Amino acid sequence: MAMNLRESLKEFWRLNVSKVGLIFLSMLILASIYVVASYPLDFGVRYWNNPSYWADYPKSAPPAWVNLISSEKAPEHYVLTYTKPSNITLTGTERKLSYIFEIDFQADRPPSFISFTILDITYHERPSTVKLSVLRPDMKNIEVYSFIVSGPYLGEEPPYRRYYDQPKRISITGDMLTATALSRFLYREYNVTLRPSEVNSIGQHKILFSIPVRDREFKVLKGQYIFTIDVYTYNPNDEVGEVTLVIGGEVYGVMGTDSLGRDLFIGLLFGFPVALFIGIVTSTITTLLGAGLGIVGGYLGGRVDEVIQRIADFINNIPLLPFLIFLAFILGQNIWILVFLLVVFGWPTLTIIVRSMVLQLKSGQFIEAAISIGAPRWWIMFKHIFPQVAPFIFAQLIFFTPTFILLEAALSFLGLGDPTLPTWGQILEYGFRSGGIYVGLWWWIIPPGILIIWTAITFVLIALGMEPVVNPRLRKIK
Amino acid sequence: MGLARTLIFRATTLALVLILVVFFMVIILGATGTSDKILQAMVNEEVMMLRQALAKTIKDPEELNRVLAIRKQELMEFYGLTKPWYIRLPDMAWRVITLDLGKARTLKTFAGGNKVSEIIMERLPNTIILVTSATAISALVGLIVGVRIATRVGGLLDRISSYFSAVSYAIPTWWIGIILILVFSFFLRLFPFGGLYSTPPPTDPFLRFLDMLWHAVLPVTTLVIALVGVWIYTTRTIVLNTAQEDFVNAARAKGFPEELIRRRYIIRVAAPPIITNVILGLATSISGAILTETVFSWPGIGRLFYDAVLVMDEVVVIALTYIFTLVYVVARFILEVLYVILDPRVRY
Amino acid sequence: MDRELIKLEDIKMYFQSRVGLFKTIPIKAVDGVSVSIVKGEALGIVGESGCGKTTLARISLRLLKPTSGRIFFEGKDITDVDEKELKWFRRRAQAVFQDPYSSINPFMTVREILEEPLILHKVGDRTERLELISKALADVKLTPIEEFLGKYPHMLSGGQRQRVGIARALILKPDYIAADEPVSMIDASSRAEILYLLKELQEKYGIAFLYITHDIATAKHFSNRIAVMYLGKIVEIGGSRELVNDTLHPYSHALIEAVPEPDPSNRLRERRVLVGEPPSPANPPRGCRFHPRCPYRFEPCDKDEPELKEVKKGHSVACYLY
Repeated sequence: MAMNLRESLKEFWRLNVSKVGLIFLSMLILASIYVVASYPLDFGVRYWNNPSYWADYPKSAPPAWVNLISSEKAPEHYVLTYTKPSNITLTGTERKLSYIFEIDFQADRPPSFISFTILDITYHERPSTVKLSVLRPDMKNIEVYSFIVSGPYLGEEPPYRRYYDQPKRISITGDMLTATALSRFLYREYNVTLRPSEVNSIGQHKILFSIPVRDREFKVLKGQYIFTIDVYTYNPNDEVGEVTLVIGGEVYGVMGTDSLGRDLFIGLLFGFPVALFIGIVTSTITTLLGAGLGIVGGYLGGRVDEVIQRIADFINNIPLLPFLIFLAFILGQNIWILVFLLVVFGWPTLTIIVRSMVLQLKSGQFIEAAISIGAPRWWIMFKHIFPQVAPFIFAQLIFFTPTFILLEAALSFLGLGDPTLPTWGQILEYGFRSGGIYVGLWWWIIPPGILIIWTAITFVLIALGMEPVVNPRLRKIK
Repeated sequence: MGLARTLIFRATTLALVLILVVFFMVIILGATGTSDKILQAMVNEEVMMLRQALAKTIKDPEELNRVLAIRKQELMEFYGLTKPWYIRLPDMAWRVITLDLGKARTLKTFAGGNKVSEIIMERLPNTIILVTSATAISALVGLIVGVRIATRVGGLLDRISSYFSAVSYAIPTWWIGIILILVFSFFLRLFPFGGLYSTPPPTDPFLRFLDMLWHAVLPVTTLVIALVGVWIYTTRTIVLNTAQEDFVNAARAKGFPEELIRRRYIIRVAAPPIITNVILGLATSISGAILTETVFSWPGIGRLFYDAVLVMDEVVVIALTYIFTLVYVVARFILEVLYVILDPRVRY
Repeated sequence: MDRELIKLEDIKMYFQSRVGLFKTIPIKAVDGVSVSIVKGEALGIVGESGCGKTTLARISLRLLKPTSGRIFFEGKDITDVDEKELKWFRRRAQAVFQDPYSSINPFMTVREILEEPLILHKVGDRTERLELISKALADVKLTPIEEFLGKYPHMLSGGQRQRVGIARALILKPDYIAADEPVSMIDASSRAEILYLLKELQEKYGIAFLYITHDIATAKHFSNRIAVMYLGKIVEIGGSRELVNDTLHPYSHALIEAVPEPDPSNRLRERRVLVGEPPSPANPPRGCRFHPRCPYRFEPCDKDEPELKEVKKGHSVACYLY
């Protein structure tokens, strides 16, 4: 029973599943457009797989909204940046640029780390000095850290520019100078004796934000903390680009972070266009190839058909997953090789089905009629046979898409994904491999899977909606 | 008889497929240089370790190098590197096909031996346990639910099952496994995180068995969740189609009791396609077990395959691929045979 | 003889059918038929199902290659020519098929169906083609034209579809049309109309026709000459009126007898009916193929096959009675 395009669309729209499917699909497409427009192409290589980019993010942190539902408030993540100093003090030739960061700390647990970063310093005569000091809620001040910018190199001419392509990041956490300063502070103010190495193992960030209770126990000190970063410059033309203070939290963002500190929200978003791309592209190529071979083989018959049949049969008898794993491992982890492999294993099923449809059609008299009016073979295949199998082929295309998305996720999960293109499967792979499930990092494990399922279901729903178009018997009688 | 002829022909074709598959793997291993690369790396590593060990005793650098060169040559001969890959690998391939599996390069059995056949046989039962129990449970549930909802089309159970079947197609099995671990092992502490036995395993055989069962619950559940949707749907479709056939209506018109109709007419006729689905399901789930075994660290051949690919232990990889393909091919063949035997309509 | 448009010379068509493990036996669908059609002439071929008439029609259009024998069109031998070289032939020889439901593509509109042959043979531009299409539709009386141009086959009745098929056959202005039982799948009420239409067009355009049917009555009205086929061979051939009024072969006689006459005085007359069914073309009887069912059979009939002999002018028969 033939239908033109308009009638087909009407039939499709009739079902609820189709509507839901289309709504989902538009959401997926919107997300993908957003990502493609706003993310750089080399996102994977430049950012996602670059641990230094995520250095200032808390590691394995649950999403920030967890604080709303838990009894104990986990410390939030603060990233404060100034491009201009809060005030400037002049003392002779010395110009002190002060960057003042105020933090109202109300969490029940201390931060997970502390670091600060200087971006782009230029000096003309004397190298600048940088100092970090903290004024705590208990009104006690500690000079935590100081360093001098590196001097001129042999043969270098002023102005001397430092830290502009690679910002200077200093981690208070793990720094022995800070540990020593804190050790002295504890002894001086609280009469507590702790060697710098002990300070280091408890954690500089922890001690800075707490009051000693007993010998080695610390209670969080809530209140206002003022961090001051002073940059001492000795020439009026000396410049500082950006100063950033990071008080590491234990929660972060909308979807939390993984063990490398990567913002999962960003990573998961990136997965949308990749998943759609893989699914649709692979599906389209496979469908075109499979259907094309099915039509050619079915119509031309003879040797051509035999050959195609044999190859399809051969491929169908190969267990899919072991071979995919084997070939992906040997040929390399590249998205195009993956697409290629999926296509190679995917076309036979469709070819066999299309071929049998074509065989049925071949005996129809209108084919003979077409021959009798002088149509060459390719004309018949293209204009007479193809339109009759087209609805089915299109439905198959939709139906194949989730299969490929799931296959790619499975391969990524086994570690065979393309590392330059982060996908949901890869996020899960890292979560599994780093033991995330064994320590209960649910925000890392659950969302990628849900996204995979949601994307796959979208296409399943649309395919379900297309069934009446393809299979006339299922149509409702008007 | 045409039947026997076709089947023999088919069997030979499939055997050919099997052999072609193995050789195809071999060609890929060889032509991409992977095989050479890996073996060479192993040789170099052994030579390096030897250098460190011998440097303490042989002080003369020339003497040291000479000894090492000899050893290196010996190693290269041992690993077959002196012969080009298109001689060395097909030779191995033939041995694998005739099931003369030899020794693994890097992997070991639990006891430390390296005979490939032992390595595989140690783990095969584990996979079989997993796969058969999962298939059996899915089939049982699938059949019961499928038949029930087929006779009560449109009911609540029917609609729930339909949605579930459609959705379960979209769910990655292995992710379910991970979630189950998260919920039942981490949060609820009801089941172990993975593995076959606890460490150390109980000495009493019965307790050991129970321990294994306890470890098997989550992986089997994962597989069942993945499989049962298909089972229910297939059963429902087949039973529904058969129940609508005219010969069933004829039986009803004759006044047979519903139960009899159900048993003798519907189920027995629907049995062939259902059984063929069992076999196909079993065959495919063996390779599907790769993912589940990886998630649960279940020491079966699926996990073994993954480990072997990771270190590219050639012999094991080829041997296992051979076994997977063999199982798959045999299953499909039995399928075709069964289909022809059980369904008289297909005979020609 | 250059007035002959189509000449089929000793055509044999054997299909191989598989029995048992290794054996195949030939099905002799057409077993030695020679016939020719002159320009503008309508030849009817009459016979029961399985006698090979449809196969013969297909061969005349080179939709099948005969197992042996030659096909000539306007003197040119087209038996073994490659399909690619036959385009000129395809333009001048067309077909009307039996099944109006499957002989036109359900996915194309009437306009597309009729335009296809024109596009394939690069006839005219869009406007010219539309004119030709309109003319063809007018010829087959599918009017108003605008109404039918955009319709799909499933919107038309069987009779209308067949008219579209006829229009398609006409649109390239062929010299020869083979019509295979063009009305046997049409409702009885429309049959006569379509046949009249076909005859009218045949005479108007002077098209040579091969008219295949099992109904000798329509063959008489439609064709100039009739050939009766039985089990792959022609048993009688001659001018239509002559053949019907002065029937020679017993089989032709039986066919004519089988036609019911709406004459009340006949109602008590016993009609002679043939016994039995035609045997399978895989295993034709020895001697004259008809002899097992022939009421007049005698001595020589089961020995050798009788030759087709001209008994009267333009009237030949293959039977030992003559």
